[in-house]
Amino acid sequence: MMAAVGAPEVISQLESAAKVLMAPPSMVSTEQRQHAEHIFLSFRKSKSPFAVCKHILETSKVDYVLFQAATAIMEAVVREWILLEKSSIESLRTFLLTYVLQRPNLQKYVREQILLAVAVIVKRGSLDKSINCKSIFHEVSQLISSGNPTVQTLACSILTALLSEFSSSNKTSNIGLSMEFHGSCKRIFQEDDLRQIFMLTVEVLQEFSRRENLNAQMSCVFQRYLALANQVLSWNFLPPNLGRHYIAMFEATQNVMLKPTESWRETLLDHRVMDLFFTVHRKIREDSDMAQDSLQCLAQLASMHGPVFPDENAQVTYLAHLVEGLLNMINGIEIEDSEAVGISNIISNLISTFPRSVLTALPNELFASFINCLTLLTCSFGRSAALEEVLDKDDMVYMEAYDKLLESWLTLVQEDEHFPRGCFVQPAVQVFNSYIQCHLAAPDGTRNLTANGVASHEEEEINELQEDDRELFSDQLASIGMLGRIAADHCIPLLTGLLEDRVTRLHGQLQRHQQHLMASADPGTVDRKVLDDLYEDIHWLILVSGYLLADDPQGETPLIPSEVMEYSIKHSTEVDINTTLQLLGSPGEKATSIPGCNRTDSVIRLLSAVLRTSEVESRATRASLTELLSPQMGKDIVWFLRRWAKTYLLVDEKLYGQISMPLSTAFGADTEGAQWIVGYLLEKVINNLSVWSSEPELANDTVELLVTLVEKRERANIVVQCENWWNLAKQFASRSPPLHMLSSTVQRTLMKALVLGGFAHMDSDTKQQYWAEVLHPLQQRFLNLINQENFAQICQEEAVKQEIVATLEALCGIAEATQIDNVSSLFSFLMDFLSSCIGLMEVYRNSPETVNLIIEVFVEVAHKQICYLGETKSMKLYEVCLTLLQVYSKNNLGRKRLDVAAEEDQYQDLLLIMELLTNLLSKEFIDFSDTDEVFRGQEQSSGAGRAVSAADVVLYGVNIVLPLMSQDLLKFPSLCNQYYKLITFICEIFPEKIPQLPEELFKSLMCSLELGMTSMSSEISQLCLEALSPLAEQCAKTQEKDTPLFIATRHFLKLVFDMLVLQKHNTEMTVAAGEALYTLVCLHQAEYSELVETLLSNQRDAVIYQRLADAFNSLTASSTPPTMDRKQKVAFLKSLEEFVANVGGLLCVK
Amino acid sequence: MADPDLDFTSGDAGASTTYPMQCSALRKNGFVVLKGRPCKIVEMSTSKTGKHGHAKVHLVGIDIFTNKKYEDICPSTHNMDVPNTKRNDYQLVDISEGFLSLMMDNGDVREDLRVPEGDLGKEIESKFAAGEEMLVTVLSAMGEESAVAVKPMTK
Repeated sequence: MMAAVGAPEVISQLESAAKVLMAPPSMVSTEQRQHAEHIFLSFRKSKSPFAVCKHILETSKVDYVLFQAATAIMEAVVREWILLEKSSIESLRTFLLTYVLQRPNLQKYVREQILLAVAVIVKRGSLDKSINCKSIFHEVSQLISSGNPTVQTLACSILTALLSEFSSSNKTSNIGLSMEFHGSCKRIFQEDDLRQIFMLTVEVLQEFSRRENLNAQMSCVFQRYLALANQVLSWNFLPPNLGRHYIAMFEATQNVMLKPTESWRETLLDHRVMDLFFTVHRKIREDSDMAQDSLQCLAQLASMHGPVFPDENAQVTYLAHLVEGLLNMINGIEIEDSEAVGISNIISNLISTFPRSVLTALPNELFASFINCLTLLTCSFGRSAALEEVLDKDDMVYMEAYDKLLESWLTLVQEDEHFPRGCFVQPAVQVFNSYIQCHLAAPDGTRNLTANGVASHEEEEINELQEDDRELFSDQLASIGMLGRIAADHCIPLLTGLLEDRVTRLHGQLQRHQQHLMASADPGTVDRKVLDDLYEDIHWLILVSGYLLADDPQGETPLIPSEVMEYSIKHSTEVDINTTLQLLGSPGEKATSIPGCNRTDSVIRLLSAVLRTSEVESRATRASLTELLSPQMGKDIVWFLRRWAKTYLLVDEKLYGQISMPLSTAFGADTEGAQWIVGYLLEKVINNLSVWSSEPELANDTVELLVTLVEKRERANIVVQCENWWNLAKQFASRSPPLHMLSSTVQRTLMKALVLGGFAHMDSDTKQQYWAEVLHPLQQRFLNLINQENFAQICQEEAVKQEIVATLEALCGIAEATQIDNVSSLFSFLMDFLSSCIGLMEVYRNSPETVNLIIEVFVEVAHKQICYLGETKSMKLYEVCLTLLQVYSKNNLGRKRLDVAAEEDQYQDLLLIMELLTNLLSKEFIDFSDTDEVFRGQEQSSGAGRAVSAADVVLYGVNIVLPLMSQDLLKFPSLCNQYYKLITFICEIFPEKIPQLPEELFKSLMCSLELGMTSMSSEISQLCLEALSPLAEQCAKTQEKDTPLFIATRHFLKLVFDMLVLQKHNTEMTVAAGEALYTLVCLHQAEYSELVETLLSNQRDAVIYQRLADAFNSLTASSTPPTMDRKQKVAFLKSLEEFVANVGGLLCVK
Repeated sequence: MADPDLDFTSGDAGASTTYPMQCSALRKNGFVVLKGRPCKIVEMSTSKTGKHGHAKVHLVGIDIFTNKKYEDICPSTHNMDVPNTKRNDYQLVDISEGFLSLMMDNGDVREDLRVPEGDLGKEIESKFAAGEEMLVTVLSAMGEESAVAVKPMTK
């Protein structure tokens, strides 16, 4: 015991250590610093340091020492809790509180630390029946009623400390108690104490809000209590019966919605509480810091749900009161910048929390006022957001608020059948109009106008990493598009009119420039301002049109939105089909110049407005005005056309309950309209690829449009009837300009599209001819080249290298085009090349970039095709891959090169080889091959006739890769992920091969697994765990003890056991870890018992001991003795879940 | 390292040492001439001035002989020079006074290439001292040459 006798010495020792720690780095050595740290550490660990700590607190003048004394008390109380007299704990707590009260001038960090110690004592005591710490609330309320601001601030600090301590989030102090303990404390706290804190806070707020004038000091106290109220209302209420993993997950959620327990009903359903927060906000709204808290409190109240409401009526009453309060608050004030986000949070919370039935049960008038207010607010925030963009503000508060409100609109109108019919049409019109207005240039719009009407126009540098507006604003555009559909009658004609107008103006402007240029003026003098304004207008009009007319769901056929369909049907009687088709078919003419243009289908007219834009662009390129055009607009056009084509082209009537005549006549299967538009789109693609090869993104969007046209058989059938398609194919095959100037990714995708088109419906002659035009030239040129006698001499010539690279790129594109119905022909075609590629590996052995590209071809072929291949074909692929690896290894073993590339790029070949091996292995998981594979199992066991197996190739490859994978290389995420994917696949698929590995290889494999399990990301950890079961099963099968694998699995047993039982880990890993544990337990039963025994023997607390012992017993009860039987394993996993829920929290300590 | 004082008679005398390529068609890890030097492209990115501007390509290359870094930015429609590059493997027969003696395919021995600096050079020297037989890869471009890789002889 460190008696008070030695206290002065202790103090002087600590004070001089503190001086060392506080000294600037130059003044003390590292050793001195470490020594000083050690002094504090051992001081905090000393037994019953209470007397000496009290003495320090009362006499020392060094803040840091005071801080350490408070920490020592806190740690010691928890450590010695059971040994301490309850009365001495109680007096210690009183001492600390009084201490703080009597010293108003303490350093903030010292005071907070002492209060933290108090909070920890209260928390530790809350589960201990023998001690009553509740009196603290009584003391605090007395402090509050003192009326003295300093004392009230202190009271607030005490409550805040309690709140953080009990929240059981990461704010909780590390006091070495189980998560279960933390959870139980929190549950008790939130039922009673938390409410008391809330009531105390509400009282204070009430008191302050009644006062007329608050001086600075008082408003400071006010602010602290408001922040406290916010903390209470943002409390993450822990539901009963939640296991420890869920608690961890639960605590991690951001944006907590208020879901109090039933016991809060009386408190929170009391209207006066809500009214108070409205009043408070009105009072302090000009103080931006405080306003944030008061609005957040209201937003939390707006998110309230759960058992606190007895029934739906209560919800309706509550919501009505909230909405009334909100409207009263907003109406008649000018909203401050700092209020925008808070107000939008309130609205967004209430719309997403309260069920539709509650919203519709609001009194009609109130609901209408609310919608009206929401409309005005949305428009106003939208305008302010646009201003923020002009001013290029860092903090885009209105943009954030606008996003929130638009999102809320989407939530509302997506379920509009619950609401009175048409009630959102007018609001939709207003919000839509204001969006368009903000995005158009003056005079129609207000884009780039500052508040006083001055236009600002700055050209900034935009790099490729910056997202295109269509992605950057996709959420906004989706909402606006949806609102546009709701008010289609207004919005579709509006967009059409604006776009047609801009296109006419663009056309005129370009013509003027052309005349100007022909008059020999210098192109540099062209003023782009007018053009850029038009481009920007068109940009937004096309984006909104695209989002309005169609969705872009991933992986499924998009449907024409029902609102658009209905709109077209509704007006179809007034529509003249022939004029509509004429309008569609003449994109070179002004729409308004066509007689009867007002009797055309509006949906088609909007599309044709985009086609008119496209036509102006194409004509400008033909007139050599490409310099003046906007690649951005080019992207917008092909993006729109692609989105449109997916939904509307060859519209399938079977998918719709009712179909619009104009749409089906214009774009249905077997219509002239569909044929015409396919031809038009194809021409566009061809024109773009030759004109825009220098714009990588535009070229990419363009080939993607081409892929969309051919990836569906029905569309491809029309495409291949076009002469242009054949021209494109021939041009690409001849590798003549301008297509060869496209970037390699674009060329690959173009190849893919050309191959996909080849599987359209054609008669056999035509088909033969097509392939003769597309694929055979590729083969012919390649063979001619590599079969030249002097190939070895000329192979380094640039022309030859370029030809080789182009061929390899094309092969990758062909592989990408693989589908189930073309795999057989593509496979045979590619196989011929693969063998030749191996020859190339030899020829280009010293050119890493070519070697990498060759391996990439193999990677692509394996990736796209292996899952479809039958046994013989798979074997062919395995063989050729094995040869590839052999050649690679022969040429690269011991090779050292000087490479100037970035480090990660140097290992491109390794990465590619691992990818190849993983792709080959994937056959074992995903296999769509034909029926001849049914007999595979039998053949395998016979072993005969199977020249090369996947295992041979993969293990050979692993022999190459593994020795090269150093820990340093694993720091590259791409290499690390690919490596672990590969090695865990191998363990799962060929466990029988693992014991046969050479010793070194085996060791590094096991090390890799352990490393991956313990110190990599959870994803990799999970992969490694999944690899363990098959390894353990393999050991069990052979029944040999003391093999290296057997010993390794024993080591893994301990690792997995610790992981599951003692450490915090992700919930999603429980299953993988559990399965691994079970098989390992089966294999090493004695060792498992030993682990359990050791764990139990470390428990001092008899109750806990018993609980743990019981838990371990029932864990294995259903599977004793454990055997590798599926049923038992499942039973074990189920018990494991219970085990973790029951006692997991006891062993996991914080 | 290439010595500027040394002049090589290149095998394809008269042929151009570079050829043009549209900037957008260049690829990362490929070659390009920057500031008159043959470089390997280690970074390639595009940007534009204003939303409706045309693409510009930003290139970062490393001189394949001196390891110096060069950068350039140009409109993506421009043509850039790409160096003709060639790699040959020669058997190492001797090292003397910092120069490699390499046996060419026709049996002649050339002694005009320096032992490269850095790790690669050390590797070559230590392996040679240990009596290992090696193939040295020599990279040539725009009239310069340098040893860039080494590999033990198989067989």
